[in-house]
Amino acid sequence: MLAQVLFSGLALGSIYGLVALGFTVVFKATEVFNFAQGMLAVCGAYFAVTAISVFHWPFGVAIVFMAVAAAVLGVLIHILLIQPLAGRSMLAVIMVTIALSIVLRAVIEILYGPQGRSLVTPLPSGVITLGGLRISELHLTAALVSWACMALFAAFFRFTSVGLLMRATADGHEAAVASGVNVNAMNRLAWAIGSLLAAIGGLFLGQLQIVSTDLESIGLLALPAVVIGGLQSIPGAIVGGLLVGLIEQLSASYISPKSTDIVIYALLLLILLVRPWGLFGQRELGRV
Amino acid sequence: MVDALYSKPRIAAPPAPARNRLWRLLGWALALAFLVYLPNVLAHRAAFGVRLTNTELLNLGLTQINLMLIAMLGALSLNYLTGCAGLISIGHAAFYATGAMTAAIVGTQWGWPFPLALAAAAVTGALAGVVAGLPSLRVRGLYFVLSTLAVHHVIVFVFLEYQFRFFDVVGVPFEAPLLGSYELNTPTRWYFFLLPLVAVVYWALRNSLNTREGRAMRAMRDHELAAAAAGVNVRILRLKAFAFSSAIASMAGALLAYFMSNVTSEAFGLDFAIQFIAMIIIGGLGSLGGSLVGAAIWLLLPSILSGLAPQGGDASGWMGALLVDHKPQLVQAIFGLLIILLLIFAPGGVAGLGQKLKALFSSRGAR
Amino acid sequence: MEAALAIDGLSASYARKGLALDDVSLVVPKGGIVALLGANGAGKTTLIRAATGLIGLHGGRIARGAVRFAGEPVLHLPAHKRVRLGMAQVPEGRLVFKNLTVEDNLLVGAAILPSARRREGLETVYDLFPRLKERRQQKAGWLSGGEQQMLALGRALIGRPKILLVDELSLGLAPIIVRQIYEQLRKVGETLGASMLVVEQNARLALEFASYAYVLESGRVTVSGPAAEVAASEAMRASYLGAESA
Repeated sequence: MLAQVLFSGLALGSIYGLVALGFTVVFKATEVFNFAQGMLAVCGAYFAVTAISVFHWPFGVAIVFMAVAAAVLGVLIHILLIQPLAGRSMLAVIMVTIALSIVLRAVIEILYGPQGRSLVTPLPSGVITLGGLRISELHLTAALVSWACMALFAAFFRFTSVGLLMRATADGHEAAVASGVNVNAMNRLAWAIGSLLAAIGGLFLGQLQIVSTDLESIGLLALPAVVIGGLQSIPGAIVGGLLVGLIEQLSASYISPKSTDIVIYALLLLILLVRPWGLFGQRELGRV
Repeated sequence: MVDALYSKPRIAAPPAPARNRLWRLLGWALALAFLVYLPNVLAHRAAFGVRLTNTELLNLGLTQINLMLIAMLGALSLNYLTGCAGLISIGHAAFYATGAMTAAIVGTQWGWPFPLALAAAAVTGALAGVVAGLPSLRVRGLYFVLSTLAVHHVIVFVFLEYQFRFFDVVGVPFEAPLLGSYELNTPTRWYFFLLPLVAVVYWALRNSLNTREGRAMRAMRDHELAAAAAGVNVRILRLKAFAFSSAIASMAGALLAYFMSNVTSEAFGLDFAIQFIAMIIIGGLGSLGGSLVGAAIWLLLPSILSGLAPQGGDASGWMGALLVDHKPQLVQAIFGLLIILLLIFAPGGVAGLGQKLKALFSSRGAR
Repeated sequence: MEAALAIDGLSASYARKGLALDDVSLVVPKGGIVALLGANGAGKTTLIRAATGLIGLHGGRIARGAVRFAGEPVLHLPAHKRVRLGMAQVPEGRLVFKNLTVEDNLLVGAAILPSARRREGLETVYDLFPRLKERRQQKAGWLSGGEQQMLALGRALIGRPKILLVDELSLGLAPIIVRQIYEQLRKVGETLGASMLVVEQNARLALEFASYAYVLESGRVTVSGPAAEVAASEAMRASYLGAESA
């Protein structure tokens, strides 16, 4: 029924919003359109799998491990791949992130095999009934955690000193350098955050389905989400994620399960033609 | 600002002295002889009567060479679009799908002869290209790149629906194509059909670039505002570039369909599109010759790795496991790393490196 | 007495434009105000960028020479470290953070101070530029040119720098506002004991304000000396002060 679909759409949308937020943080800071964001979500899921199924660490430790590993991965990506390409053309930067996703996928499949792995966690997996609605506890937890992360990030960005410096760097690169901001450190922080948020999203996506590199295409839905919401806009990323989640569930239920991708990408095309700066973005056509 | 990623514009070289011309002619003759003799060598696994091992033949079969030739068409057309006209398209595989679908409809379903099917594929490809290029009238830059991604998904979805509506999950079947009464049913026959075709396409693109329009295109790529100010009709030119490029890719898609005798929508996923971008970056953006090299490397890499497998397998446990069990992943990993290294250290790709080498030699050699 | 800033035989070039500075030497004495004059394209901004570490951002390279700040060489340091050492700048075009509020802009500059001192820094700047206090919650992009200039200055000064490098303060501003700002600047210099290197196209104003001056022409120092002398010199009279206007 409709309410059910709406709920799961919002829950999934919260996860997409989280991944999309990570994407936007990176884009705002370094102007890099990270095509590997979907793969970073997958990496997060695999970090969790490693900690839990391979090292047999308790869940809490595993989460910390995943967070740290994701952050370090983000920083490494900036140092090794993004910084050397500073000032280069958009195609070069896009290609390097695409190449990155190719390499990450290959490495994961070499280490873990192309089949999926299941992620065993103490996250609640039952169902609660609330006034006729059957709500999956996992969906609920995913939504709550995603929102908590987004809120935490928003608070960090808005109210802390480091958050201010990040905002300043995103606002004007040269101005930030002239004002004594360590822009390289800010960029690395942005990538660490972007990767971390993607990892958390990947953790939940991996729980909802099976952990495999195919999760990448789901993680990639963050891309239409940020465009629909508005590139460079943080509320845009979140709203975009929610919309994509809703549309996905609605089209899966009312059209067909296979139609979800096409509906979202057709919508993306429509937005690009009609209002490319998205719902919350600013009118700067053809930027980058 | 011209990015180092694009190879330098070609300045016409002064006519070579007679002796050099003779050498070049000889070179071309040798290359031609090699190309003509190649299928014989690969089919019989022997050259001039001397048997060659699989490793010496780089584990290549004529089938792979044919696939490479078909891929070359894609690489050439994409480089024409992106490297020469400056239009970044990450959904190039969609045009292959267009061609395959057209060929399925007119060839398999309606029974049109093969040459007509190819022509039809070129036409629908051109149309699809124009459609894909239309967003460029509205948005530029990153948004346009995203539109090519969206268009890719839409086209492949159309193919998917077509496949399931008229055929089944196994795929769309194709009969062996007939050129008149000559049936293309062996790899050798395909080879001698594809090889001149690739040469003709290369030539056509090369010539197109040397026309006034071709130069206008490259001016548009380098500095759109200046080109527009100079009177170049940028919009029409962009659509033309798309039409031309997609027509070729669509034809290649039809060829692929006939060659494989069967295609499914999975063949045209984003991975395939990305392979083409990889080819043109490795070969060198803007260099048509480089695209050929890029496609060749794309072909050779898995074969070389297969060749290493027996030795590696004996040598040490994990290397053997890597080469044997995870060969496709290893190929992808190496590919990805190669792209990254080239982007950071040699943005002109193989063509760029080739030019640097040439410069090195010509500055040393006495003239 | 050690110079606040000592530039020694500096040569720099841009990838696309070629040589911009040719063996330039310049000294800003401690507590002194030095004017850097010259026509468009003479290399004034390049010199500032070389000293502050922003030259790389614009595709430039330092070929030769040394820059010493309070006796310490700084060319090997990244820009943000130089700011931490006490070298603040107001770049060409002001470069305020358009989407941040006035107060946030200032706080970015204050980031190098320990957090306890930041409020104090804010109050100091607000005392100096009361207009900024009135507009503290407004987005910097909405301020007028003069207000943005004050903001950029405030952001640079809040960290209590030892030297302030100002590039084209008067650009796009009404003369009366420029004069006001220079007055403030002189006061600040005295209170903070900060040295200043001021790039100006408006030579007359700069020479009134500075104690020492250098003139750059095509990347080379052609005239240098105490401000009054430079103002009186034939070269200045001819090229810059030709059309006397009140």
